[in-house]
Amino acid sequence: MKTIKERARETRVCREADVVVVGGGPGGIGAAVSAARNGADTVLIERYGYLGGMGTGGLVTIIPQLTDYTGKQQIVGITQEWIDRLIARNAVDYPKKEHWGSLDKELVRYYFQRSFFMTRLDRVVYAAIIDAEISKYILNEMVEEAGIKVYCHAWGTEPIMEGNHCKGVIIESKSGRQAILGKIIIDSTGDGDLLPYAGIEFEDNIPPNFRIANLALCFWVDGVDLKKAMDFRINNPKEFMELNRRAMEAGGQGGFMPSNLPNQDAVVWFHNRFPNKSQVDVEELTRVEFEGRKKMMKTWEFFKENMPGFEKSFIVLSGPQLGTRSSRRMIGEYQLTEKDLADNQPFEDTIAIFPDLDRGQESLDHPNMYIPYRCLLPKNVDNLLVACRAFSSDEHVQDYFNLIPHCIAFGEAAGTASALALQANVGVKNVDIKALQKQLAKQGVPLPDVTKKVDYKYDGPALVSSAFTPPH
Amino acid sequence: MARDVSIKTITEEARQIKVVREADVVVVGGGPGGISSAIAAARSGASTVLIERYGHLGGMATGGLVNIIPNLSDIYGKQHLFGLTQEMIDRLDARGGTSYPKKEDWGTTDKNVVEYYHDARLDWFYIRRDYNIGKERVVYTAVVDPEILKDEFNDMVLEAGVELWLHSWGTRVVMDGNSVTGVYFESKSGRQAILGKVIIDATGDGDMFVAAGADFDSELDNKRRTAWLAFNFWLANVDIRKYDEFKASHAQKYEEMMQELAKLDGYPYFFKGVLKNQENVIWYHTMQPQPESTDAMDVEQLTRIDVRARKRALITYEFMKKHVPGFEKCFIMLTAPQLGTQGGRRIIGEYTLTEKDLETDEVFEDTVAVLANNDYREISTKHPTLCIPYRCLVPKSIDGLLVAGRAFSSADTINETFNIIPHCIAYGQAAGTAAAMAVDAGIQPRKVDYGELRKNLVKQGVNLPEIEKSAAVTASAQQPPVVRNLLNPDR
Repeated sequence: MKTIKERARETRVCREADVVVVGGGPGGIGAAVSAARNGADTVLIERYGYLGGMGTGGLVTIIPQLTDYTGKQQIVGITQEWIDRLIARNAVDYPKKEHWGSLDKELVRYYFQRSFFMTRLDRVVYAAIIDAEISKYILNEMVEEAGIKVYCHAWGTEPIMEGNHCKGVIIESKSGRQAILGKIIIDSTGDGDLLPYAGIEFEDNIPPNFRIANLALCFWVDGVDLKKAMDFRINNPKEFMELNRRAMEAGGQGGFMPSNLPNQDAVVWFHNRFPNKSQVDVEELTRVEFEGRKKMMKTWEFFKENMPGFEKSFIVLSGPQLGTRSSRRMIGEYQLTEKDLADNQPFEDTIAIFPDLDRGQESLDHPNMYIPYRCLLPKNVDNLLVACRAFSSDEHVQDYFNLIPHCIAFGEAAGTASALALQANVGVKNVDIKALQKQLAKQGVPLPDVTKKVDYKYDGPALVSSAFTPPH
Repeated sequence: MARDVSIKTITEEARQIKVVREADVVVVGGGPGGISSAIAAARSGASTVLIERYGHLGGMATGGLVNIIPNLSDIYGKQHLFGLTQEMIDRLDARGGTSYPKKEDWGTTDKNVVEYYHDARLDWFYIRRDYNIGKERVVYTAVVDPEILKDEFNDMVLEAGVELWLHSWGTRVVMDGNSVTGVYFESKSGRQAILGKVIIDATGDGDMFVAAGADFDSELDNKRRTAWLAFNFWLANVDIRKYDEFKASHAQKYEEMMQELAKLDGYPYFFKGVLKNQENVIWYHTMQPQPESTDAMDVEQLTRIDVRARKRALITYEFMKKHVPGFEKCFIMLTAPQLGTQGGRRIIGEYTLTEKDLETDEVFEDTVAVLANNDYREISTKHPTLCIPYRCLVPKSIDGLLVAGRAFSSADTINETFNIIPHCIAYGQAAGTAAAMAVDAGIQPRKVDYGELRKNLVKQGVNLPEIEKSAAVTASAQQPPVVRNLLNPDR
C-alpha cells in the first residue's frame, strides 16, 4: 500500500464546549437538543447545510413504528415534538390517533393504500409522513431555541485522542481544518465515523439479503395526475403490474408511493434499494450515485411515456444524500443481539422502548424491544457516546431498529446522559441510571417498570398478513 | 454565545496517508469548471480523476439551483460560447431538459419575446438594453433542469473516461517544493490522497491554491453581487394563471402585499419557472449579504446565513400561501442543497484581467475563450465581447496547478461579471486541455504552447478569434500587445 507522509501541524481550536455532537441527523438532533436543554454548552457539527440527515436530505421522509401493535405509542419525546411542530404547520400526514392499533379491515385497507408504513400485523400503526423542507426549518428552530452552537457545512472527520479519552474532533470546512474540543463527544455520524480513529471496537458484517445491506437514491416526481394513475391501478391491476414489470425490464424500477402530504397531490415518491459492499467505501458510494441516477432517469422516462397520469410529470428532486442504511456497529458495553429479539424482560438501564412490528408472529410474541443505555457506550473510551445507527447491536437487531425515531431516541438518551454526567462531575459510564431514567421520563419518554418480572403471552387474534421486510 | 477568538491550537502528529490513485490530471470540484476540466483533460488523452464533495455533479447549476446558463450570446444575438456549454445544452435538449429562446429570437427586439422574459422576471438573464437604438434585446440564455443535468453530467464525464470520486471533499494539497503533486481528501473512507501530475483547482473558492500557499486576492467590495450568498428554493403547485389575473386586476393591492412581506423579512420577488411541464413551479433566488466578511469562507457565518435564509424562506412561503391568490396550495418543493456561492478568492495569475481590458477589445495571443460582454451597459454595446487569456488560469507563484472556475485571476469588477456557469465551463475546457498537453509534453502548465492549445480548443468546437502569427509574446509577459480589434463596435 503506497502512502504519503502528511506533516505534523498545528490545528486551530475554534471552539470549546461541554458536549460536541458530530452529525446533525436524527441521532445528532436528539443528542444536541437534549444535552443543551439539560444545561450543557453544546456544539453540533453537520456536513450539509441543513439538519435532519436521512429524514430530510435522504428523502426518507417517514417516521415509522411509533406505536406497538396494541396502538400504544412507545416513541414520544423529541420525535413527537418534531411531529407536533409539523402539525402546527400542516406539513405531516399520519393515521388518526383513535385508529392506532385498530384491527378494522376497512381502516387497515384504507391506511395501507395511503401509505405502506401505516399498517403492520393486520393493524393500523402510527407512522408519520413528514415534509422534508418544513422539517429542515423546524429542526433549525429547535436547535436554535435550545441555544446550540451549530456548524453547518462542516465535516467532523476524526476524533482527537489522548489515550482512552477523546478531547475533541477535527472538522473540515471552507474555513479550513479546525478543531473543536469538548468534555463529552457524541458520535451521531450514522456510520460511526469516529470509531476507527478512536480505537473503538466495531463490526460491519451485513448479510447481503438484509434490508440494511442496501443503499437508496430516493427521488420525487411532480406533475403527476395521481387520480388518473390510481384509477388505472385499481381498474386495471394486471396492466398496472405489467407496466411496472416492463419499467424494470427497461432498466428502471416499478412502484411508487403517493406523497399524501397536504397540497402535494401531484407528487409521488420512488424509493429503492441498491446492494453494495460497504456504505463507508467512497468508491461504492460513487458507483451507487451513478447507478441510482441512471435508474432514476430510466424509471421516469418509462413512466412518462407509458404510465397513465405521468404524461406531464417531471423529476422534482433526487435525494441530496444517498439513503444509507447501515455500516459500522460499535461493540459497546452491551451488544443487543438476536436473542434479545425474543426476550420481553426490560433492562435495568432501559432508556427507550421500540415497537417490534416487522417480524410477523415473532413481533406479536415480542411486541417491544428494550434499549439499554450501555449499547450507546464504547468499552474503551471514557467520554464518548454513540447516538445513531452505529449503536451496539448485531446485524439482526440493527436490521429492524436503526430507523429515524430510533436514532432520535438514542440521541435523546445520550444527550441527556451527557448533561447529567457533567452536572454530577462523573464520566458518562458512571451516570446515575435512575436519575437518567427519571429525567427522560420527564421529557416524555415512555419507559418500562424495570423492577417488574414480565410474563407476557400474545392472546389476540391469529395473524393473517405475512411478515415482510419493509423497504426502509 | 460569544465567539471564541482564541488562537489555541492542537498538534496533529505527522502520519502516513494512503495513496489511493495516481493520475495525470486531478480535478478538485465537480461544478461547471471541474466537469469541463475533467472532460477536456480526459478527451485529450490524460488519465483523469475528478473529486466532488457532494453526491452529484454540477455545483451551482444543479445543487445550488442556479439553473440558469446566461450570456451565451452577446446583446446582438451572436453566440460566442460554444464548446462544452453548447454540448451540454444540446444533450439536455434531446431529453427535454432545457428551455431557451428560439434561435431566430436571439438579439430580437420583438416586444412579445422581451415581455415574456420580463413577465417571468428573468430579465436579468435574458434581456439587455442596446444603447445604440434605445431598445431591449433578448440574449441567448438557457435554463436547465437540474435533475436531468445531474445525470447528463454523469454521462458526459463517464463517456470521457474520467474516474469520479463523489462524496469526497478535497481539503489540502500534497506539495513538493513549489509544486502541487496531489491532494488530500476526506470521505467516508477516511483521509486519503490522490497524486497527479497537474492538479486543477475547480473548487470555486480556490481551496487548493490557498492550501498550496499561492498568492491570491480576496478583496471584494461588499456591494458587489459576488460578495453575497444565494439561498435558492422552489415552490410548486402554484396556480400561475390565477396569480397573474390577481396581479393584473389588483396591482396596487399586490404591491402593498409585497411591501408587507418585505417588512416581515420575506422575499417579495420570484422568477416564473420556464421549464417544460413546470408551469406551476416558481423559483426564488434570494441574495444574502455576508455582514462580517465577504469571501464565503467563514463556516460560522455560512451557518448563520443558512439558518436565517431558511427562516425567511418559510416566512415567504407561509405569507404567499395565506394571502396571495394562486398560492393557496403551494408547497416548498426544495431548497437548494448547496448554498449559492458567488465569489471570493481569486488567484493571482500570470495575467490579471481588469476592467481596462473591457474597453480595449484585446485579443490575447493566448485567448482561450471569448465571452459575451453583456453587463456593462454602454460599454457592452460598443464592446460586445471579452477575450480571456490562458494566463488567467495559471498561478503566478505555484507549479503543477491550474485554476478553473470563478477563482480565475481577475479584479473583483471583472469577476463579478465573468464568473458564472458558462464562463466556468469555458475556463475548465481550457484548463483541462492545457493540463493534458502539459502532461503529454512533460512540462509545467505555464509552459504550454499557446498556439497548440488554441488549435486543440478550436478542434473541440470552442469559438476563438483568429490571431496574427507575427505577434510574439513570451509566456511571462505581464501585458501582451494588442493583436487586433476583435469586432467592429459599430456593426
